Amino acid sequence: MNRKTCAGLLAFISLVFAFLTGCSSSSSSTPKVAITATSGGGQTAQVGAPFTNPLVATVNSNGSPASGVSVTFTAPGSGASGVFTTSGTATETDTTNSSGVATSSAFTANTTAGGYTVTATAAGMGGTSPAAFTLTNNPGAAAAIQATSGTPQNTVVSTPFTNPLVATVVDSYNNPVPGAGVPITFTAVPNQTGASGLFTSTATGTEIDLTDATGKATSSTFTANATAGEYNVVASFPGLTSANFVLTNTTVVVSANTYVFYLSGQEATNGGPNYYALAGSVTIDSLGDIVSNNNGVGGELDYNDGHGNTSPNEPAADTIAPGTASPTYGLTVNANGQGTLILTDSTDTNVGVGGTITLGVQFVNASHALITQFDGSATSSGSLDLQTATSLIGGGNFAFTLSGVDTGYNPIAIGGVVSIGSGVVTGTFDVNDDGTVFTGQTLTTGAASDPDSFGRGTVTGTQLAGTLAYYVVGSEAVRLISVDTNDAAIGSAFGQGSGAFTNASIGASVLAAAGNPWSTYNAEVGQFTTTNTGSDPASFSGVGEDNELGNGVASDPAAAISGTYTVQDSGVKGYGSLSINSANFGNVTTLGVYMTDPALNLNDPNNTSGGGGALVVDLSEDGSLPGTTGVLVPQTDTATGVFAGNYAVAWQNSNDFTTCQECEFDMVAQGSVTAGALSFTGQVSDPFFTLGTPDATSSGNTFTGNPLADSTNPGRYSMLSTNTIPNPLAAAIDGASGTFDLVLYQASGGQLFWLEYDGNSVFLGPLQQQNLTGIPATKDPAAKSAQPKQ
Amino acid sequence: MKRLCASLYALVLLSVLSSLPPTQAQSSPAETRAIETRTMEPYYDIAKEVTLTGTVSTVLTRPSAGMIAGSHLVLATASGEVDASLGRWGLQGKGGLSVAAGEQVEVTGVHKTLKGRQVFVVRTVKADGQVYTMRNQHGIPVSPQARERASAKPAQKGDSL
Repeated sequence: MNRKTCAGLLAFISLVFAFLTGCSSSSSSTPKVAITATSGGGQTAQVGAPFTNPLVATVNSNGSPASGVSVTFTAPGSGASGVFTTSGTATETDTTNSSGVATSSAFTANTTAGGYTVTATAAGMGGTSPAAFTLTNNPGAAAAIQATSGTPQNTVVSTPFTNPLVATVVDSYNNPVPGAGVPITFTAVPNQTGASGLFTSTATGTEIDLTDATGKATSSTFTANATAGEYNVVASFPGLTSANFVLTNTTVVVSANTYVFYLSGQEATNGGPNYYALAGSVTIDSLGDIVSNNNGVGGELDYNDGHGNTSPNEPAADTIAPGTASPTYGLTVNANGQGTLILTDSTDTNVGVGGTITLGVQFVNASHALITQFDGSATSSGSLDLQTATSLIGGGNFAFTLSGVDTGYNPIAIGGVVSIGSGVVTGTFDVNDDGTVFTGQTLTTGAASDPDSFGRGTVTGTQLAGTLAYYVVGSEAVRLISVDTNDAAIGSAFGQGSGAFTNASIGASVLAAAGNPWSTYNAEVGQFTTTNTGSDPASFSGVGEDNELGNGVASDPAAAISGTYTVQDSGVKGYGSLSINSANFGNVTTLGVYMTDPALNLNDPNNTSGGGGALVVDLSEDGSLPGTTGVLVPQTDTATGVFAGNYAVAWQNSNDFTTCQECEFDMVAQGSVTAGALSFTGQVSDPFFTLGTPDATSSGNTFTGNPLADSTNPGRYSMLSTNTIPNPLAAAIDGASGTFDLVLYQASGGQLFWLEYDGNSVFLGPLQQQNLTGIPATKDPAAKSAQPKQ
Repeated sequence: MKRLCASLYALVLLSVLSSLPPTQAQSSPAETRAIETRTMEPYYDIAKEVTLTGTVSTVLTRPSAGMIAGSHLVLATASGEVDASLGRWGLQGKGGLSVAAGEQVEVTGVHKTLKGRQVFVVRTVKADGQVYTMRNQHGIPVSPQARERASAKPAQKGDSL
């Protein structure tokens, strides 16, 4: 396995990771000057208006006024702040006069109310403290009423809504206007069928509530009447723009769940193609509405392309706006579990289309869906999973992998085993950074913050990233996303259960791995059995296919693969590696192996079957496959008869079809496998128009064929134009048709993987058996008419 | 309009999705797959680098049939025609190589047999006195974004990663 641990490399990696994590050293100089705030602090101004006095700072050098010194005034870059007249920005540099005094130009409050500090620093002041001016932007005159919380909501007819309606008086910039005693009138407006409700305090559809000191008015409990349907309650005050609350009386119990989503691919915006990663969690009710929490937020997300489009308030997440399900918002799926999830990022209008992100969704079961971005702004693959816990893992060991781009915008993959306890993260990891491989690295101790109500927290202080955001899916499943502005990566961490592993922990397995959307573009899939598991190393042998589009390398069909592997049973338990001795598997020679809980399904973490296996990272010594991560999944049933029923499927394709070199398109689909014939229908996201078809997104695309079972290698199927009876997958996409050569490997009837095995196109993707009982937001035409909502 | 165009798109898609060359499609898989057999040597062995000088015959922004992925230059050299692979981003974006047929260039890289044909895997190209980096020392293609990052800060150990 040739793990290298020499001191020279450790020194080198220290330099590398200092670079990767944005750490840098800087020279310091002896303080020679001091700066003080002379005047201008403590002022207030109305939002959008200038402050009365300029900001004045005095610079002394060794106790004497220093003239001709550059002084830089800096206001906050976001939130409450302001701009200087001369520069037109939040920063301005002025020069001291003969008295050592620097005076800013007029400073004007921006449109966000609140207090803040403007700092002044002088050239050559070294480590001395800057001067600070405390300023406050006051809200403007009351202009409107805003629905702060309590919208949208659902309740069963004749029952009270969970949350009161809260309205806030705001200025023309949506800043709350403090002031108690403003009488806000709440008025229910019944819809055409009479759906409405009553306030407890008046037993009518109208009541008046006074604002409190913060400008908020809170209604009494509002109870639905006996008629189902959606309607509004209006909050009003003469002279102010009114606010609407959207309420729905339902005939069935509406339940809400939070789902965690994560995906990565290529964005077409921001001068793309660029790599990007997106993760978040969102609360969705059974009608498909995005439901707000007590703070009026429907969810959180982190978006990062590492190239100028990173969620702007990191390490805080962007927020997702709540809203009622409709053709343009929320979750809408048909009876086959296929549809869209449309979200508005309230924080960042640079993501998606003007801040609205549309995901193509294909449910596998009620707690798991395959997803792709589906709005023409980007394309990607990932999954959406029911959140079953929001608490961070009360400790224990986790295997993890991350894949993305480093600070040089080159492909990188990292894998390892970490221990999380009392907010502290430690561990061991391997990395393949743009072809340079390091193994057995000790993770510097990091700090994990407690998760918020959406299960999101951050990890800082490790070499993995300056800041990693995490989203808890369940007690043993976590999604990870780097939120640094100069790098981007995404991945998962999975619990290791009892943590007892030996070489015998790996038995017959399916291997599926692929490069990330910014790597060499490669994918590998295969199957093997193990022997000599009582020895160290143990042995494996099997068959597989490797397709390295970027390297111009591919394996034979069903290429023989064999080699050895080791899984540590002491020290860092479940940490290991696998070496492929044969030269038949392209450039794939070494994988880092990180064992996971045998009860945990890595591709569907809430699925109680199909568990076990490991995460893997390509660590091949020649470094030609950076960014490659994957899974080992136990192969428990190779019978062709169990590859039957309904399946949700997906792929992430890179190709050379057009002048956009190795750009990506993605698909999610659903259909049946019957008597050996598969037939799927689904959505294709192709924002780079790699297929030469007219639309960036298309639905109703079909994928059909008859996989040929490999009698020599049970569990393997081929769909190749080179088979004796050619049987490639036939695709009809957006008005055009074509074929894909591919192979499939079956871990069980429940989960398979397919790999495209063509010369100028490559994909890897899952096939997962469907059980659609209880999926949310089913709104096929028949179901929609049956819904109580309008 | 879409229906009228459908047949055209079908032709396009058929031509690009059926990627195996016709000669391969006629034979059995074991005989047809263009295999790069390796003896555990690096994909890109910098110790085997050579520098060639030639005249650009053709600039290919995407590969012709049978070529490996990415953009290519076809060079006329003293020893004959050379297929010089520039990788997926060689001709793209800010800092990408800009050459035209007839120009003399100096390419540094490694000769390899990929997909059954001789390919010169290019790491750098010197054209009009300027050196363009197509791949790193491991043969990994350098993206326009990576070129931008590399030029935006002073070189230090680790920057080439």
